[in-house]
Amino acid sequence: MIEQTLEVDDKLAEFEARIARGEKIEPGDWMPDEYRRQLIRMISQHAHSEVVGMLPEGAWIPHAPSLRRKMVLMAKVQDEAGHGQYLYHAAETLGATREELLDALHTGKAKYASIFNYPTLTWADVAWIGWLVDGAAIKNQTMLAQASYGPYSRAMVRICAEETFHYKQGKEMIVHYASSGTPEQKAMVQDGLNRWWPPTLMMFGPHDSESTNSEILMRWGIKTKSNDELRQEFINEEVPEIQALGLEIPDPDLHFDEDSGSWIIGPIDWDEFWQVVRGNGPMNAERLAARQEAHENGRWVREAMAALYYKFVTDNYSKVSKAIGLSPERN
Amino acid sequence: MSDTQWPRYEVFKQDNPQKPHEAVGSVHAPDAELALQNGRDVFVRRPSAVSLWVVKASNIFTMTREELEATPDFWPKVSKAAGTPTTFHLFTKTSQRRSMTFVRHAGQIEAVTPELALRDAIENGRFDADNVWVWWVVADEFIHRSQADDIDSLFAPAVDKTYRQQSHYGFVSPRRQKHGREKLDADERR
Repeated sequence: MIEQTLEVDDKLAEFEARIARGEKIEPGDWMPDEYRRQLIRMISQHAHSEVVGMLPEGAWIPHAPSLRRKMVLMAKVQDEAGHGQYLYHAAETLGATREELLDALHTGKAKYASIFNYPTLTWADVAWIGWLVDGAAIKNQTMLAQASYGPYSRAMVRICAEETFHYKQGKEMIVHYASSGTPEQKAMVQDGLNRWWPPTLMMFGPHDSESTNSEILMRWGIKTKSNDELRQEFINEEVPEIQALGLEIPDPDLHFDEDSGSWIIGPIDWDEFWQVVRGNGPMNAERLAARQEAHENGRWVREAMAALYYKFVTDNYSKVSKAIGLSPERN
Repeated sequence: MSDTQWPRYEVFKQDNPQKPHEAVGSVHAPDAELALQNGRDVFVRRPSAVSLWVVKASNIFTMTREELEATPDFWPKVSKAAGTPTTFHLFTKTSQRRSMTFVRHAGQIEAVTPELALRDAIENGRFDADNVWVWWVVADEFIHRSQADDIDSLFAPAVDKTYRQQSHYGFVSPRRQKHGREKLDADERR
């Protein structure tokens, strides 16, 4: 027993030394159970966020104001679906199955980015999601592209390149509407900012002092910056850009601090954050129902593919049926 | 929970004829042909590609440097194998430091088993084994490849896709807007 513990201690020391040397951990390498557990938790939440993130914007595809905007939005929503796929793959390299991950999403057990539980009421919301939500996501993802787990970092590099397009298309729209738009368009943009700014700041997660996972994530090189560091970087970059458009950021306490060279924000409404995380946000129930319905609507595709599989692997049919939720007796 | 999913296929993408195939991720599919289609949909939405390979994950023999070092009895066991040699493809990951380092196609070798192919690869010096962190070994017969006459249907659409490049959006800073171009769509001005 003591020998076993010593062996694990040795392995842990070598594992941490590898991370300290900047090496990537690859599937097959030894890793602590907790490292694996944290990565599956983070990567699957991230994958679910990409998938659920298609919903608020996808709703606006039929209502895009021009063909160009429609094509841009379709390309963007398609990207989010692809990002979900990259990430489910990365989680699978750790021994999770796509089936259990999707089950957790569809039964409401899995978490995803809370921001997608807010409604997209106007076209400006699509633009703000690009600028603010994708902008905040890029901050986090640029850091995660350096993560110590190889498959996660590689997925992140690809995702970041595409998210930059999402950010730019959103910002381009806001700049247009705020600077050259009609009074109604300007009002729509300000209204969107009022609603999206507060939850965007929550996207970076609880303050460092309240974040239960941060310490271990930073120790093992999964994260290299804290929630508050990333949030402050984002605020410092975006506040002057937004203000340059004559828009008002909905925070009476917001001010520039000469000493630190940082924009200081007022308190974040963490009660609201936890309410939404716990499933009580404005759109939680609708998002979950939409995902369940989408999964159900894809059943005929899974049936068609199962039929093909059946042709080649008849003796495995009961297993295939089980995999896609068909009744085994059906032919 | 038991894994009741369709088989997992690793997807290898070749960006242009001068580059090796790189492992870009995996898809699930009922057969290799659909794995190729799924791989195309997931991994060639934007990037350029000229060829895709898919290999069922269970047909890939993998070894990390750490696993090799942790398995001192690995070599004696495999030296006993005998049979008819076949072609194995070797894929290697040769750096640990940059996030964009993939497992890449490095060459092929004739051997009886994947274990022996790996031993030969490490011993014969062609593969710079000292700098390899991850080895994948795949028998040629297990690689399912896109065909040359599939290039138009599989890969051309991504190349011509509108808005695929983020550089399409140069106009992004309101503070620099004075020097930027106005390009508001006519129907958005209404």
